[in-house]
Amino acid sequence: MSYDRAITVFSPDGHLFQVEYAQEAVKKGSTAVGVRGKKIVVLGVEKKSIAKLQDDRTVRKICALDDNVFLAFAGLTADARVVVNRARVECQSHRLTVEDPVTVEYITRFISSIKQRYTQSNGRRPFGISSLIVGFDFDGTPHLYQTEPSGTYHAWKANAIGRSAKTVREFLEKHYKEEDMESDTEVIKLAIRALLEVVQSGGKNIELAIMKQDESMKILDQEEIKKYVTAIENEKEEAEKKKKT
Amino acid sequence: MERHYMDSKIKGVSTGTTILAVTFNGGVIIGSDSRASMGGNYVCSKTINKLIQVHDRIFCCIAGSLADAQAVTKTAKFQISLHSIQMESPPLVKAAASVMKELCYNNKEELQAGFITAGWDKKKGPQVYTVALGGMLLSLPFTIGGSGSTYIYGYTDAKYKPDMSREECLQFATNALALAMGRDNVSGGVAHLVVITEGGVEHVVIPGDKLPKFHDE
Repeated sequence: MSYDRAITVFSPDGHLFQVEYAQEAVKKGSTAVGVRGKKIVVLGVEKKSIAKLQDDRTVRKICALDDNVFLAFAGLTADARVVVNRARVECQSHRLTVEDPVTVEYITRFISSIKQRYTQSNGRRPFGISSLIVGFDFDGTPHLYQTEPSGTYHAWKANAIGRSAKTVREFLEKHYKEEDMESDTEVIKLAIRALLEVVQSGGKNIELAIMKQDESMKILDQEEIKKYVTAIENEKEEAEKKKKT
Repeated sequence: MERHYMDSKIKGVSTGTTILAVTFNGGVIIGSDSRASMGGNYVCSKTINKLIQVHDRIFCCIAGSLADAQAVTKTAKFQISLHSIQMESPPLVKAAASVMKELCYNNKEELQAGFITAGWDKKKGPQVYTVALGGMLLSLPFTIGGSGSTYIYGYTDAKYKPDMSREECLQFATNALALAMGRDNVSGGVAHLVVITEGGVEHVVIPGDKLPKFHDE
């Protein structure tokens, strides 16, 4: 008997197949990278090349949830839309009832509970998305969380989801330096360098959003991204030259 | 007149009040007094805030029952913020005023609060809307409200000019508030003013003893 028919059924060896298949769907999505600095949080996504006649403004993979939190996702865009909308309503609802903005952990927990509920109900399938949620709490601490289709969430210093996530994560592990996180520029550069590992043809296919402490989310325009990419390429050349001598 | 009659029937804390909003060249100034009264005799608070910010460049002035006004503005703030974040752009002042109007009209049996919504947006610049007790929405170059407003209709009608400068408008608003607070027993305290322009929001607070004085003071 096949154990992937109904989501509510465990297989004999303890798997929830639908959840695992959802994770496969995530692995097909375009890469997203998140880095948490001391005073800045950064999310970068790979912009898939779009058809000539398509307006690329409508393909947004980074969404603000509130003034102090935003997220990027990998996986089924339509599923993400539903989750993002519920999270946005919850952010406002929280403000109404307790007169304070949500903490990043609270809204992550909320999103994860929704996802978990869908792994335990009849006739519904899990959401096919993993998300990276970043932001600042009202006391100024930065956070980066990752959620999965199973409904689990974890805090990270830097992480990647989507296609080639493993490669990007290994790159981050190799190049993440605690001292660098003090500098906003270094944090942004780390995120871009990580994405460049897997993205085709450089800066044109990267979308980057940053949030500094006490400021709202800002999506960098192509000019700014190009500047960072050029700086990174120069640094690479310097490093190669040094190796040769 | 209608609002004055209504005030004495309001149970609990009311903002027998003076509120106004005036557009000028490049922005809008909203102002209010700061007195909250109960039953026309007792002053509950001398320093209440009647200028509620519902978004970055949009404010609401409240008049009538304080509890109703707070509930409505908080709900409106929820809806406007959600709308803004879904649209990924700042909300229009008209949208904010419309949200207030929906709340007032759909709950007109229970509510006893009137509002002035004013602010700046990219589409139409500075705007002022008044949302009356039953849920009527009206767009005006300037408007006054609250029980104290009855004493300054003459002054504001005579002295308002379109396209004033920021300083002229500030003086106009301050004078209007001072005159109303001088005659209305349920308006008083300090004068709160907020100047909203494309560039930002500036609060001005004028304590009672620094208000402009007129011939008999």
